[in-house]
Amino acid sequence: MNRRTLLAWLWASVVCLLIAHSAFLWFDERLTPDSDILALLPVEERDPVLQQAFAHMVDAAQQRLIVLVGAEDWDQASRAADIYRAVLAAHNSLLQPDDQIAKQAPQDWLALFRQHRLALLTPGAEAALRSQAKPYWIDIALAKLYSPFGGIKPGAWQDDPFGLFADWIQTRARETPVRPRDGWLFVGDGRRQYVVLPFKLRLPAFSMAAQEAVVPLLEQARQAAYKSVPQVEVVAAGVILYAAAAGAQAKWEVSTIGFGSLLGIVVLIWLTFHSFKPIVLIMLSVGVGCLGALSVCWLLFERIHLLTLVFGASLIGGAQDYGTYFLCNRLSADGQSLDSWQLLRRLLPALLLALVTTVLGYLALALTPFPGLRQMAVFSALGMIFAWLTVAFWFPELVRAGTLKSARLAQWCAASLERWPSLRLQRSMWWVAALFVAFAVFGWSRLGVRDDIRLLQNPPKRLIDEQIKLSRLLDAPAPAQFFLVRGANSETVLQREEALKQRLDPLIEKQIIGGYQAMSNWVPSLRTQVARRALIEQTFLNEDGALAALAARIGADDQWVMATRERWLAAGSELAPDDFLKTSASEPVRHLWLGPVDGGYASIVSLRGLDSTSLPFLQRAGGGLDGVQWVDKVGEISSVLGRYRKYMGWVVLLSYFGVYGMLYPRYRSAAWRVLAPTALASVATLALLGLSGQSLQLFHVLALMLLLGVGVDYGIFFQEHPSRRDPVAWLAVGLSALSTLLSFGLLSLSKTPALQAFGLTMLIGTVAVWFLAPCFSHDQEQRFVQGPP
Amino acid sequence: MKQLRACSFMLASLALLGAAPVAKKIQTMLAKPKVLCGRFDQSKQLVGLKKPLSSNGRFCVVADKGVLWRTLQPFPNSLKLTRDEIIQLRGEQVALRLDAKQEPTVRMINSVLFALLAGDLEQLEKLFDIDGTAQDNDWSVTLKARDPGLAKAIGSIALDGGVYVKNIVISEASGDRTQIVFSVIQTGDGAMTADEAALF
Repeated sequence: MNRRTLLAWLWASVVCLLIAHSAFLWFDERLTPDSDILALLPVEERDPVLQQAFAHMVDAAQQRLIVLVGAEDWDQASRAADIYRAVLAAHNSLLQPDDQIAKQAPQDWLALFRQHRLALLTPGAEAALRSQAKPYWIDIALAKLYSPFGGIKPGAWQDDPFGLFADWIQTRARETPVRPRDGWLFVGDGRRQYVVLPFKLRLPAFSMAAQEAVVPLLEQARQAAYKSVPQVEVVAAGVILYAAAAGAQAKWEVSTIGFGSLLGIVVLIWLTFHSFKPIVLIMLSVGVGCLGALSVCWLLFERIHLLTLVFGASLIGGAQDYGTYFLCNRLSADGQSLDSWQLLRRLLPALLLALVTTVLGYLALALTPFPGLRQMAVFSALGMIFAWLTVAFWFPELVRAGTLKSARLAQWCAASLERWPSLRLQRSMWWVAALFVAFAVFGWSRLGVRDDIRLLQNPPKRLIDEQIKLSRLLDAPAPAQFFLVRGANSETVLQREEALKQRLDPLIEKQIIGGYQAMSNWVPSLRTQVARRALIEQTFLNEDGALAALAARIGADDQWVMATRERWLAAGSELAPDDFLKTSASEPVRHLWLGPVDGGYASIVSLRGLDSTSLPFLQRAGGGLDGVQWVDKVGEISSVLGRYRKYMGWVVLLSYFGVYGMLYPRYRSAAWRVLAPTALASVATLALLGLSGQSLQLFHVLALMLLLGVGVDYGIFFQEHPSRRDPVAWLAVGLSALSTLLSFGLLSLSKTPALQAFGLTMLIGTVAVWFLAPCFSHDQEQRFVQGPP
Repeated sequence: MKQLRACSFMLASLALLGAAPVAKKIQTMLAKPKVLCGRFDQSKQLVGLKKPLSSNGRFCVVADKGVLWRTLQPFPNSLKLTRDEIIQLRGEQVALRLDAKQEPTVRMINSVLFALLAGDLEQLEKLFDIDGTAQDNDWSVTLKARDPGLAKAIGSIALDGGVYVKNIVISEASGDRTQIVFSVIQTGDGAMTADEAALF
């Protein structure tokens, strides 16, 4: 066995390992792709506490599913809800009803607050305590006393004669419009009455199994509800619904793009070689590429994102370039007495250069901070390398001289090259150049920019509509915009929350926001608790305070005053966050309290009733406060997308110089001819995007990066075969370009705007490079340094 | 459920101001006028106070519309309960307004109060266990809320009367006791005064 066959066998054993590993992944059912869209978002590396805060908000929402069942009539709504829930009841292990709070007796969780009621005041009551005189308070107490309906009464009259604690409870109740009603949770919008059905998902929201089980089940329950009450409205929202929609879409795209490009390539090769053998060979290199990418990617990341597979499906188009190039050369070398190993040796420098430039293009994608993108880049680069190695190790063994026959397409292709225009310094060329510059300038001037998070996901409109409706009805706090408050200890955090809330109160008055939720709403800082107790003692409990005056009016004796005073003071002990967190009442705010974190304590102040116009006000409100940070995850992602659009733009530009540097040692003064078609194609692509009204986004720029890798291959192939009478390059480039078009062209059918932009750019760019490349080939004397013999 | 919070406990506790049983029999004894107005005298005995606190005023119950409760002595104070809202006026000022669209307990409170003043025991039976006696033209009942949380918040309610409800006694869990006596009952179109009609 000689060295070459040994290499082929070594590679065969590597391929066996890949097959074994993939089979293991497949049969062990580990191969469930990830559909979490957040996995595509950048990790907040600079600030772990901020990352933790966001994760806290996300975790609070992720495993939750909320369904509203509404009708104009409450009885109808609750009847439909009964039926809806009955359908789900059989699947308790999947979806668990989460509305015990509707059945919980309020007294249970009021008890804690009653013990600390002295410090629990609304901002309005606190202001009144500072500004109003004794008669004001006595009037309030007497009115409450004599009215049969003294307003809200959380206990005996003498425990809260001035209604301060009742006010506080009422204000807390207004933090949500949801109310218990007949054992259900209820919310109404004046037109319809809705039963609120909260569920907890028992399987991870991003597991395929959960999605495949939950979505049909909800539909079944929806249909059952419609059947019994035809006018019922069912609104559902939950992370799992988005994940399921994204997953189904990605699956469809993987199969369409993968199968479509595969089929296209088979047809192409058949037309070119009129033989099955090349098809099998190309499939072999692509197959090993895909297996290798999957296997190594899994070892590196321990998971595969669905979008990686979508993107990776387009790999099929790229990975066959090397095989095609080899086969085309084999075909044309059949006139010469070269054996396949000698041929490979001759092709190796060009093949290697082509691989390196393409892989570099992919790896530039890995420079972005988006983990999903990084995975896609690594997956693609690995696929290229494995396909390339398969060509290098196996093809010379498998394809001997004379194996291939040329078909009519190859001959037609050769004929077409001779008629293809070539670049020459003449007057008409100046006109073409001038026209091109005018076209480019005009196109570029029309090019806007767009850096929107929605590029990454495009959920069905119905889901978005239901989500918006549900958030509006429930007046739910914004999950991606909030204030992060930090301090050395919990007391400092609470004090800082209180300072922030003073800035937010005017925004509520001006209806810029609906309200806020914060730990300090429930547990004031100790400083505030002390101040409020002092205020109450001074206004009510002094010898000539309002309580004594009230006693005189209702004929109560000193003993009554003493006893009442004692009971009040007993309710003035300190309330700490931990006391509150232990009770079931804290459940709705628990996710806001991050507690001990790196370097201190932290909490979240969440906001209700936001819209895009409120964001600048909020950002300003948080400014200049110690330890308070405004977090706008949506805005942040958009700004990251924008930043990386610019950053990658520069990377693309610099890469041209880098690639030129790599090409120069081999092609010297002709190196620019390798690069120019791609550069011009990129300029033309951007101009066309501008003309067609597209807005420039990160993913266009990333595609230009990849186009550089692919396009330079074509330039290299042509520069290796500069003669107009030598159709090898033209044939290889034609086949490569067509298959790239098939794969990336199909990617432009993707419903994910980012992938679509990527596909479209590749589509236009590849066509342009394909048609431009022969114009730049130069067939006078050989201008590059001959590779090693 | 994080975003959702159940908070109408205090409203629920208001609803629990009254009660009565032996419903069917009593139901036949009661007159059910479209409009019913009269005078009330309320006496509240608070724990730790020797003297009860007295107040009086006028009330109106209008079928299909709601209840108007006007305290005249010692402080003017009006309460209007309709199907869709509760409004409390302290003097001329609106001291409290609760909307049934947001607070479903408003409807419950209103139906209970209406039923109490009209003696509609069938309605009350939905929420209360009713226990009592009815003889000749007199009846008396005690009401206890079926929901334990509610029972704890309201305590018990005793009602007695004949053709109309005459007395209501509310005994709260805290030990406070409120007695309301109705008198000078008028029915029909002329029962409501002009300013009362204006408030509706």
